[in-house]
Amino acid sequence: MTGLSGRTGLIAGMLAALLFAAPTLAQDKPALNVYTYSSFTGKYGPGAKVKAAFEAQCQCTLNWVAADDAGSLLARLKLEGETTRADLVLGLDMNLAAEAKATGLFQPHGQDSTTLTLPTPWTDDTLLPFDWGHLAFVYDSTRLATPPQSLKQLVDDPKGPKLVLQDPRTSAPGLGFLLWMRAVYGDEADAAWGKLKLRIVTFTKGWSEAYGLFLKGEADMVLSYATSPAYHLGAEKKTQYKAAPFAEGHYLHVELAGMTRATKQPELAKRFLAFMLSDAFQSLIPEGNWMMPAKQPATGLPTSFAEVIRPEKTLLVAPETVRSQRRAFIDAWLAATSR
Amino acid sequence: MLRPATLTALAILALACGSLIGLARAGSDFASLLTLGPYLARLLASAGLQAALSTLLSLLLGTALALALLRRCFPGRELLLALLTTAAVAPTIVIAFGVVAIYGRSGLLGSLMRGIGAEPPSIYGLHGIVLAHVLMNMPLVTRALLHAFEREPGERRRLAAALGFTAADCFRHLDWPVIRREAPALAVLVFLLCFTSFAIVLSLGGGPANATLEVAIYEAVRFEADFVRAAALAGLQLVICLGLAASLSALTPRARAEAGAGHRAPRPDLRTMRGIDAGVLALGTVLVAPPLLSVASGLAHLPSLASVEFVRAAATSAVIAITAGLLACLLALLLASSARRLPQRSRLADLAAFALLGLPPFAFVAGLYVLLRGLGDPASLGLVLVPLVNALMALPYTYRLLAPALATSAERHGRLAESLGLAGWNRLRLVEWPALRGALGAAFAFATALSLGDFGVIALFGGPELTTLPYLLANRLGAYRIDEAGALALVLVLSAGGLAFLTQRWSARHA
Repeated sequence: MTGLSGRTGLIAGMLAALLFAAPTLAQDKPALNVYTYSSFTGKYGPGAKVKAAFEAQCQCTLNWVAADDAGSLLARLKLEGETTRADLVLGLDMNLAAEAKATGLFQPHGQDSTTLTLPTPWTDDTLLPFDWGHLAFVYDSTRLATPPQSLKQLVDDPKGPKLVLQDPRTSAPGLGFLLWMRAVYGDEADAAWGKLKLRIVTFTKGWSEAYGLFLKGEADMVLSYATSPAYHLGAEKKTQYKAAPFAEGHYLHVELAGMTRATKQPELAKRFLAFMLSDAFQSLIPEGNWMMPAKQPATGLPTSFAEVIRPEKTLLVAPETVRSQRRAFIDAWLAATSR
Repeated sequence: MLRPATLTALAILALACGSLIGLARAGSDFASLLTLGPYLARLLASAGLQAALSTLLSLLLGTALALALLRRCFPGRELLLALLTTAAVAPTIVIAFGVVAIYGRSGLLGSLMRGIGAEPPSIYGLHGIVLAHVLMNMPLVTRALLHAFEREPGERRRLAAALGFTAADCFRHLDWPVIRREAPALAVLVFLLCFTSFAIVLSLGGGPANATLEVAIYEAVRFEADFVRAAALAGLQLVICLGLAASLSALTPRARAEAGAGHRAPRPDLRTMRGIDAGVLALGTVLVAPPLLSVASGLAHLPSLASVEFVRAAATSAVIAITAGLLACLLALLLASSARRLPQRSRLADLAAFALLGLPPFAFVAGLYVLLRGLGDPASLGLVLVPLVNALMALPYTYRLLAPALATSAERHGRLAESLGLAGWNRLRLVEWPALRGALGAAFAFATALSLGDFGVIALFGGPELTTLPYLLANRLGAYRIDEAGALALVLVLSAGGLAFLTQRWSARHA
């Protein structure tokens, strides 16, 4: 429906679809379809600016096709299979990387990933990072004066802060924290969960609900990203929100893009991936998506990011291990927290 | 030849099963549900418990409230009814945040209690889930029972007055038969709604011990991209729903065929029940109103909504919701049309309506998509699927409101219509339309408002080309803009409330 806009487009689309399979509109320029998650597009996401910047140099039209979150992106792609109209998918995460590659729907990205500024080296030849962030507990420093300084302190202090977390069965950061606990405690993780659960207000379905509950004052700390305070500083000029640095290190969340095997325009798709790592795209990430750019632009980071904590140690569980062990980890977590 | 009701019911059941088969076919490997065995057993047990508690309380409170509303006329009665409808159809995220705004740690009640030096109890846990579910489902029971009570012939009340009935006699002879007839279906409806509830259970549950099968289905689709497992789990949920629905006819007594006019007559228990009714009405209002009214906090942020994107989303939402509302009423009438000939409920129609409650929206849409993907490109398919699936998701509600009304009309005027040779369109226009108007208004309002607040279906197909208000709400929440999300919640609640209020007046005028 690119040739039409607004309500006319919608109504025309509905009519066309109701009458017959919608005819594709003739276009002079090639169109590149990029599937992404909803908050990347929309009024506050970087989507519109990315589209404008890429279209200025590609002689093409970039169409965003959005799904709810990373999980529904992969689900939708898998439903469409070989018949998908997606040339690229932007917005998968590390936890889904192994599932995504196992679908066989992606092809090598062909980009040089050695120049990325991730906390860990990147070697995957299929999925390419476009941004990243450390998971962190965020708190309001006007309400919580002395946050815990390590995960162990958070777990062990029976009078410690109340937390709102995400359910690892339904949320990416929720699963990230489950793996964080595994990475720090190993086989002792279940006992640690047993201690921690007394101070967990609830495990929500997704990040939004948890962050909303935190902002409404339902908990002292929320599991979010180390970059969250930058949002409050940059967009709201509020300085009281902080991320607590933990001594054991922080779990890494990486957001990925990949080009599909079904694409009929591999050259254009590759051009987009190259553009994705260029300063034009990467400079839109910090204050558009509120994450760290995968390749730091020459202009550096905006001032709102100056105080983003930089953990010395980065924790990460390999995607293949996540894929094979996830069920067992979740069962153990259920047993430890359901009692 | 198949009758329209049978045909519709079979088509719905075929669509339900077909979508799951389609979903399973999109999967690559065979899943083993056996490895999930103990986990599933625990999920089912905890879901069953909270759903049973929620149903019991919703039925008790809903019945008391319906009786009080039946007996009393007071200023603000229509507003209260509109508020009830709104609570039943508001998006779950709005209800969850509403409950927290009142009962949460920093909520209104908590602040008041802390003001007098008491520590408020935590809302998170089984009681929080049950509270939110009663908040959403008690109104449903109240609305459906109130319609049923109002359809009872006025002669009975006059006879009761002449015989000098006490309040207890009134309940036993006037109200209990109606409750006995309507309650089983309502209980199954509410139970299934709570049994398949998801975001509320996790947000207010306080821990993973409280979960539903829907959590496992979502997990299979979004985290494992394992459609075979998702389809199998959805199938399991469907079977449980169908099993409950099938036991329904055993629980439901046959309707008595009787003639009578629907006009009003005063009940003899008006005076004795005055105090109790006032108490029940106050309790109902105190339960439902504060969480819903808490969205008023979005008022200050309404200006932040002004954008082309918002106007487009509002227009898209309106088109989808009205289409879905009309379709849901049409399908419910088709499904209920067997009641024209047979005085008892149609088992197949009941099954079809309840089957839709057992279908997880995401699995249903994904499955339908697989079945239909050859027919058009995904974006335009979404434009057709979203209203269609919204209509089907609203069908259990519209059917529950319309089927009894159609059955009553058949009991009263069916024989006369047949002896006059009235059939088809003429019978609908002359006989059924006057009897149905009131219920139709309520059904349309329900279905439209439900579709207006839907996020389950739009999650897969939304995007720049198909943005609705709930989609925008989720988008803003995902981008830290909680204030703007609050303003959107206010717009959604006001639209649902306004719609309910308008149809209320329309129904009252045509009752």
